[in-house]
Amino acid sequence: MRLRPMEERDLPRFVEWLADRDVTRWLAAMGEPPTLDDEREWYKRRREDPESVMWSIETIDGELAGTVELRLTPRAKRAEMGIAIQDKSLWGQGLGTDTVRLVLEYAFEDLQLNRVELTTDEENTRAIRCYEKCGFAREGLLRQHRLIDGRFGNTLSMAVLRDEWEKGK
Amino acid sequence: MEARDIVRDASIGARQAPPLQGAAVRLRAVEEGDLPLLVRWMNDPDVRFWLHHSDRPDATVESVRGRFGLTEERFSNLVWMIETLEGRPVGHLGLLQVDPHHKRAELAISIGEKEWWSQGIGTDAIRTVLRHAFEDLGLRRVDLHTDADNARGIRCYEKCGFVREGVMRERRLRYRQPLDMVLMAVLREEWSE
Repeated sequence: MRLRPMEERDLPRFVEWLADRDVTRWLAAMGEPPTLDDEREWYKRRREDPESVMWSIETIDGELAGTVELRLTPRAKRAEMGIAIQDKSLWGQGLGTDTVRLVLEYAFEDLQLNRVELTTDEENTRAIRCYEKCGFAREGLLRQHRLIDGRFGNTLSMAVLRDEWEKGK
Repeated sequence: MEARDIVRDASIGARQAPPLQGAAVRLRAVEEGDLPLLVRWMNDPDVRFWLHHSDRPDATVESVRGRFGLTEERFSNLVWMIETLEGRPVGHLGLLQVDPHHKRAELAISIGEKEWWSQGIGTDAIRTVLRHAFEDLGLRRVDLHTDADNARGIRCYEKCGFVREGVMRERRLRYRQPLDMVLMAVLREEWSE
């Protein structure tokens, strides 16, 4: 697995993947599936945002697999992580775990952050297991926080602190 | 127009926060002329102690204008000045990140005039804005996070119906020291005046 800066040429694959309900089921932030123009607009905004660090995730063979982002709050020395393995044929192979570990190393060692947090669908057991393996602990449950297919679901809030991460290395 | 249609209307942020009347307070949209007062409040050490952005550089008219989006349309933030019934501005509050799809928003409040602390002004302002959020905007959930040692704030939020949902460890810095924050929320179905 490799992380590299996201490039404009990645966007058509994202548009294709983000039209797949199996993928968007877990992405509450998504509204309607984006068009290529939506995706270009989103990419441009993120690139201009100094508090956002975005990567594309690639397999060893150089195949695009998904995205991972750190949204920074420098004054609090924290970041929020967002990760999506969008190519569902690669689910369950440890790609996400490798990615999260690599991004945590970058956050704590290079950026010298104190805390990395994330939120995920309470029912996303595969993702939660991955985050726990990487050192994240559950901190709270946001009730009725997301509307998915006409039904309100809970969101789990998780975080890992720098000293916990250092012990678990 | 049904309540939920108001939220779906993309102009919600372009629209100003509507005037709201409480028992002890009036809420009105923030105006350009309020900015120097907001700057004074935010730079008062006793007030700033409790602000999430305590560790930012001192507030200026420009930085506050940027935060409140008076220079650009912010689609998801509604911010009000809190005034006493005599018309004296004593603080401000906002419904932030108003999300019409998930029908939720985040509450933020600060009473900048310290002699009005513990006088029930904040409680009345929050009750007033929750009524607006649930009845007019059709929201389902309003949440907030506050410093874990902010006993006065937490008591006020609990009085208004918020319940604790979690503790976010070392979520912010106050004068460079890490500080836990409590996550709280109130749902429409459990809210009553």
